[in-house]
Amino acid sequence: MKGRYADENLKWIAPLILLVILLPFLLRGATFSYRYYLYVLNIAGIYTILAVGLDVLSGYTGLVSLGHAGFLAIGAYTSAILVDQAGVPFGLSLIITPLITGLFGIVVGFPALRISGMYLGLTTMGFGFIVRRLIIALRTWTEGSAGLEVTKPLLFGFTFNSDWDNYFLVYTFVILVIVSIRRVMKSKVGRALMAIRDSEHAAQAAGVNLTRYKLFAFFLSAVLAGLAGVLFAHTMRFISTDHFDILLSIYFIIMVLVGGVGTVYGAVVGTLFIVLLDFLAIPIFKDWLGSFVAVEVADIQSLIFGLIMFLFIIFQPMGLYGMWLKMRIYWKLFPFNPKKRFT
Amino acid sequence: MKFRTPVSSILLMALFIGCAGREPTPGVTDTEILIGNIQDLSGPMKELGMALPHGANLYFNYINDKGGIHGRQIRMTMEDHQYNPQKAVAAAKKLIEQDQVFCLYQVIGTSPCEAIRSLLEENEIPLIAPATQSGTMSDRSRTGWKYIFHTDTGYDKQANILVDYAYEQNAEAKVAVLYQDDDYGANVLKGIAEAEARHGVTVQKEAFQRGATDFAGQVMNLNKGGATHVIIGGVVREPIIAMKTAAAMGYAPQFLGISPTMDHRVALGSGEAGEGFIAANFAQLYNSDVEGAKLYRKLFAASGTDPKVMGMYNFYGFMTAMILVEGLERAGKRLTRDGLIKAMEGIKDFDGKGVFPGISYGPNDRAGTDAVVLVINEGGKQRIISDWIE
Repeated sequence: MKGRYADENLKWIAPLILLVILLPFLLRGATFSYRYYLYVLNIAGIYTILAVGLDVLSGYTGLVSLGHAGFLAIGAYTSAILVDQAGVPFGLSLIITPLITGLFGIVVGFPALRISGMYLGLTTMGFGFIVRRLIIALRTWTEGSAGLEVTKPLLFGFTFNSDWDNYFLVYTFVILVIVSIRRVMKSKVGRALMAIRDSEHAAQAAGVNLTRYKLFAFFLSAVLAGLAGVLFAHTMRFISTDHFDILLSIYFIIMVLVGGVGTVYGAVVGTLFIVLLDFLAIPIFKDWLGSFVAVEVADIQSLIFGLIMFLFIIFQPMGLYGMWLKMRIYWKLFPFNPKKRFT
Repeated sequence: MKFRTPVSSILLMALFIGCAGREPTPGVTDTEILIGNIQDLSGPMKELGMALPHGANLYFNYINDKGGIHGRQIRMTMEDHQYNPQKAVAAAKKLIEQDQVFCLYQVIGTSPCEAIRSLLEENEIPLIAPATQSGTMSDRSRTGWKYIFHTDTGYDKQANILVDYAYEQNAEAKVAVLYQDDDYGANVLKGIAEAEARHGVTVQKEAFQRGATDFAGQVMNLNKGGATHVIIGGVVREPIIAMKTAAAMGYAPQFLGISPTMDHRVALGSGEAGEGFIAANFAQLYNSDVEGAKLYRKLFAASGTDPKVMGMYNFYGFMTAMILVEGLERAGKRLTRDGLIKAMEGIKDFDGKGVFPGISYGPNDRAGTDAVVLVINEGGKQRIISDWIE
């Protein structure tokens, strides 16, 4: 292990963790509606876990997924059913559910052995739709699209009753995930995944088992989404198909894109940025704009997200790898590009 | 549209601090009652999201101009949930903790309302007239049922009534249902199952997916099954396509619709195929002759809003505002959340100037009404053809 992080400055890690621990206390001191902010932070934390997983898949390995809301849904519903209907303890569900979701990841991963880029994006998007339909069809357990009430997290005899309790639960896992995924990505496995992203042929020539590593990337990514799902179900305490729509999958991609693909910290920063923008900044901006412009400002959300994504795709050349690669080649060859190749 | 501004909430906080001495109820001052409304302002139902609060504010302003409720003006603050349950929870938390609203009102959509149930219970805050007709809203086996006062007749009860109606019209009728395969449809099927048991018959059931554009298979099956009365549990577009498909196939059963199909767009869009289409509705129409509807039209005209949006959704907001105001009036001068719940439970046969069949609640009753009127489509015009049916 020696020297693995030699190229990084780790001094600020401890203060950062301290800040994470102190933040709720600071918020409580600053505002009496701190619970609302904690709720938003909890959402951000849960999405961070998922975004890190998505980054492993799309950022490190270069496999686009537009179906991660599906994995989140599988995790959430599996845990809700296991804990509330099968009587599995929450602590055990925290281990089993991600593994089950991971198996789904492997299943979805199989097509990825053959297809890539836009096609993989479409396949995974289809997966997201299938999951939603499946939840509705499995009415006996999921109550269809009416949604499912979920019990509070109960761990070692302690019930996580409020957003305050949930915050510490969620962020414990956030820190664990960040640390462990960074270790994995700095290891042989991580290098193999990046090699696949950069060139499958070269990776194969260097002895990387494509099948195994691609499936592993899907597995790991789905495991993290599953973990996020467990936390989601039990801290939000109500799940329905309306939670997990296609737009959410796209938001996840935006989070990873905005943060910078292929870096764990990027996914973290991107998620925080997008969630805080979505829940806190845009509503204030909307109110402010609405107070003196007599236009319909409701749609400003989509506008801002679209614009952000647009700008990041142009100025952050790491995202949606396959699509970007096409674009880059196109502009490089412009205006001498053979049109047929791109239409 | 009025939006909350940081300045006003700071002022409100200052008011609270100023009122020290008496245990203050959140959102209630000597001059104002602040209520919170969570609408879909930028999601799939944003047309409704704009209309409902507009209609509600017409009535609130009317009451405010008359001096308010026990000297207090009603003010409504809005949040947007984009039809996303998670955002609905965030919005509710914000309204409860940051804006300190007295109660919630007209939160739109089934899943957003379901999502905030535990929040209602934790904060002991009532939700008056959730803007959904799902029968689950008044289900007393669910978390926080005590805090939700549902107005509308549930889909299950409507389906029940429509089956009865079909048999009344024709004792030899063969009833079928064409339902949307989701929670809405499930609620409709629940009512159908009850009706099946009562009449000792089997109702033919055909499902479709929300957003479906091809109904040839279902209509063919209905035709094959010989259905004479088809109950449609859809919203707007799907019923139109289903009826047009049937017309194209030369199959003409009597189509009946659950209340979302009462939307005048169904009447307009289905044209010839929808002639004679009968939909259930839990209240009188905005253009009817009852006192409440007249008042609504008068206030609407005075507000100078585009008459195009005068239809059912604005009126829906207006009607439910009457129920909230009735509850607040009954709760008296010393307004508390618990007091509002008790006052709401005391409402019996409240007809809202004639627009309702009679809204009643009780300590163990959260379903406002079980009755509907039937609305027929004649050449794109809607007309009520029945009394209240229960």
